[in-house]
Amino acid sequence: MNFINGVTIAIVLFGIGLLGLILRRDLVIKLLSLGLVNGSVILCLVSLNARPDGVPPIVRGPGGAPYVDPLPQALVLSAIVINFAILALALVFVMLLVERYHTTDSQRIEHEIEEEEGP
Amino acid sequence: MRRTSFSMVVVTALLVACFCGVLMATFGYRGAGEGGAPYIARGAVETGAANLVSAIYLNYRLYDTLLEILVFSVAVLGVRFYLAEQKGSEEEVARIPESQVIRTSADLLFPPIFLLGIYLVLFGHLSPGGGFSGGTVAGTGLLLCAVALGADVVARRFHEAALERLEWGVLLVILLFALSPIALWRLPLTDLFPRGNLGSLASGGSILIYNALIGLKVFIGTWVVVYSFIRHRGEI
Amino acid sequence: MIIVLLPLGHFLLAALCLAWQSGTRVLTLLSLLVDASLVGLLFSAFSQGETLAIVLGGWGRDVGIELADDRFSLVFCILALLLGGSVVAYLWKERLRPYFYMLLHLLLGSVFALLFARDLFNIYVIMELLTLTSFLLVGYERKPYQIWAGLKYLLLASLGMGMYLLGVAIIYYHTGTLNLSILTTQLIGQQNASWLLIASSLLVSGIAIKAGIFIFSLWLPAAHASATPAVSALLSGMVIKMGVVVLLRLAPVFPLSLPLEVLSAVTGLLGIIYAIYTYDLKRMLAFHTLSQIGYLILGIGIGSELEIAGSLEYAVGHGLFKGLLFLAAGAAVQATGKEDIPGLIAKRSQIPVATRVGLLIGTMGIMGLPPLAGFCGKTLLSNGTDSPVIQAILVLLSIGTVISFAKLLPLFRLERGPSSPWPKTVAYVILGLPMVLFLPLTRLFLPIEQWRESFGTIPFLESLLMVGVGLLLYRFLPKRLANLPQRIFRLEEAILVILSGFFLIYLLSVLG
Repeated sequence: MNFINGVTIAIVLFGIGLLGLILRRDLVIKLLSLGLVNGSVILCLVSLNARPDGVPPIVRGPGGAPYVDPLPQALVLSAIVINFAILALALVFVMLLVERYHTTDSQRIEHEIEEEEGP
Repeated sequence: MRRTSFSMVVVTALLVACFCGVLMATFGYRGAGEGGAPYIARGAVETGAANLVSAIYLNYRLYDTLLEILVFSVAVLGVRFYLAEQKGSEEEVARIPESQVIRTSADLLFPPIFLLGIYLVLFGHLSPGGGFSGGTVAGTGLLLCAVALGADVVARRFHEAALERLEWGVLLVILLFALSPIALWRLPLTDLFPRGNLGSLASGGSILIYNALIGLKVFIGTWVVVYSFIRHRGEI
Repeated sequence: MIIVLLPLGHFLLAALCLAWQSGTRVLTLLSLLVDASLVGLLFSAFSQGETLAIVLGGWGRDVGIELADDRFSLVFCILALLLGGSVVAYLWKERLRPYFYMLLHLLLGSVFALLFARDLFNIYVIMELLTLTSFLLVGYERKPYQIWAGLKYLLLASLGMGMYLLGVAIIYYHTGTLNLSILTTQLIGQQNASWLLIASSLLVSGIAIKAGIFIFSLWLPAAHASATPAVSALLSGMVIKMGVVVLLRLAPVFPLSLPLEVLSAVTGLLGIIYAIYTYDLKRMLAFHTLSQIGYLILGIGIGSELEIAGSLEYAVGHGLFKGLLFLAAGAAVQATGKEDIPGLIAKRSQIPVATRVGLLIGTMGIMGLPPLAGFCGKTLLSNGTDSPVIQAILVLLSIGTVISFAKLLPLFRLERGPSSPWPKTVAYVILGLPMVLFLPLTRLFLPIEQWRESFGTIPFLESLLMVGVGLLLYRFLPKRLANLPQRIFRLEEAILVILSGFFLIYLLSVLG
């Protein structure tokens, strides 16, 4: 089995995205890491049923050509649009916060909000 | 509080490494795979569309696509609501100093880009493409215009309120069209249009109509999102 | 056909709200009445034994998306309508933009869509729609702490759905289908396969972030406490239950009973400990939501007929009284300007009478006083199982709930107060009346011998005893504990806790 294939790379990217989401304090980098996490799941879905002799699932005529599985690709279309929506809205909120607190550091923003709300 | 503490880095790295390791070990991935047999066997004949992916997400699993359009609409709604009220510090959207290179290349490129978008939408059931990609291509073509001419010039051509109503109107049309088989006492989201000849433009039942409507919606939505960000920021 | 009309109808109305802006409230009210009649039709069809299962588009089950109803869907539909109606009534006099009502319709539509969904990817898309609409509702007033709470919610929920989708990918790779009914039959012999365990752990971790389980939903106290009271009522009462409904759908298919039972204990006890030592009213209610979800997950985890009925009843009851508590708490905070409980007690003469009565009924319900809603659910849950460990946990949870709500008791002294504006009173009545009449209403759920046996005199006395013990313990418990860890509610630590929770679920499913 070829060890370097879409699925393993997707899992590695998922891990890298998680690391970025947790360890980096800049809010924009957190958003990018979230995008990476979601993108890696998309990669995993698309490369699930990939086959080396595969042909895109566009039917030209009768007769069974080795078409690649079309279902994950259809699922991925929805997933991509949903990721776009999430990133857009998260970016809007990040922009609102950054304008209010003049910093993109998530820990500093959290600290200032805790101070504002009072104990 | 200033730096991420060393213990946290270690714990994070350990947890994430274990997570990835467990996933890789138990996934059971054997390399190549085969799947999607029911769609491949019957898809083209039952739906009339040559592109099996379009057949799936606009016919077999149309409900998911409808919900996903709603997700897109909610995103556009949210972006517009939060960014419309707060203008940037400048009233006028600043322009990139208009260079001849940008202007000329935008003149040359915008028509083909727009045509490509329309092609992708119309031929979505015959070749890779569809409403989403076509709409995005056309929307970013409009962004190219905004870069070349200035965003305010482009925005002046679209009346803001009319754009909003058009967008939700298209959504209304999509939903009503999806519900229309009820009038004939069939289940909603059923495709009642004729299938046509496989491979010709007039095939695939109502997939073409859905592609066109979705393409229009995504086009407007992409422009609204991009323009909201530009206007809020005050510059491109 | 109705089961696809309900969600799509609400989505249509969301689009229409923009067209007819002045009449959005009336439109929403009318739509809720129409929904009530549709649900009534479904209910009458269901009680005659017809279950609807349709595949949209008329295709077969293996290629299309299946929708089906069962008693859980119908009962939650009723809960959704009651909550929606009370929120519309509560906000009748406020000047809200059509944007808010559009979001409300989208929320209700996605709730209805999720209740009938039987397909893994369909559930994913609907949950994302729910996440986005509730996230936008949390940040509606644009205060900074609301925006930050909403952002944390979005990041964590999106991460969770990413994990869920990874689990769906694994399942699709090995079984070739996404339909839950087909999966039920296909997975019967393979319950110990390693890929199935990891996939079910991923699925449950993803959904648990939205379902209000303590280790996973660490965004919940911030988000529910900072949102406006009507939105908090909707979120705590309905949106959280949707995560529980998905777990209910997944539980018969995947090997999940031990993880769910352990998680229920963990979330119940941890939630109650935090709730006892929180003095901000809305935050305490949010911690309570985390804890009460423990009851629901317990019933689902055990999986027997009576237990699931108990979970269902408790879910409906909890939706009602948590909604009522949030609405009343919001009105109280608005009237006095104080958010912490000692401050509210000091200024209790400024709180309207109807609000105080609402808080009282809600408190009685959540404490489990018979014959209100909470009592019914808790009794069924403890009657359905013989295991002493589970009974002990249930008793601890009940006593803990009583202790944490005992600090509200000074609010309820009989005093004159200003009268409440009528919309809010109507909202309290919409939620409070079914709660008070819950005991006769449970006759609809259970066959009559079980009903008589479950609700005899002994359970009555038991629950009264627990309330008494709780009140006594409250006198003697230290009022302030050493600092409970609050760092876990930050974003980064929350993700680490979620990952550890994932490993916990995986280990438990391997062991179970």
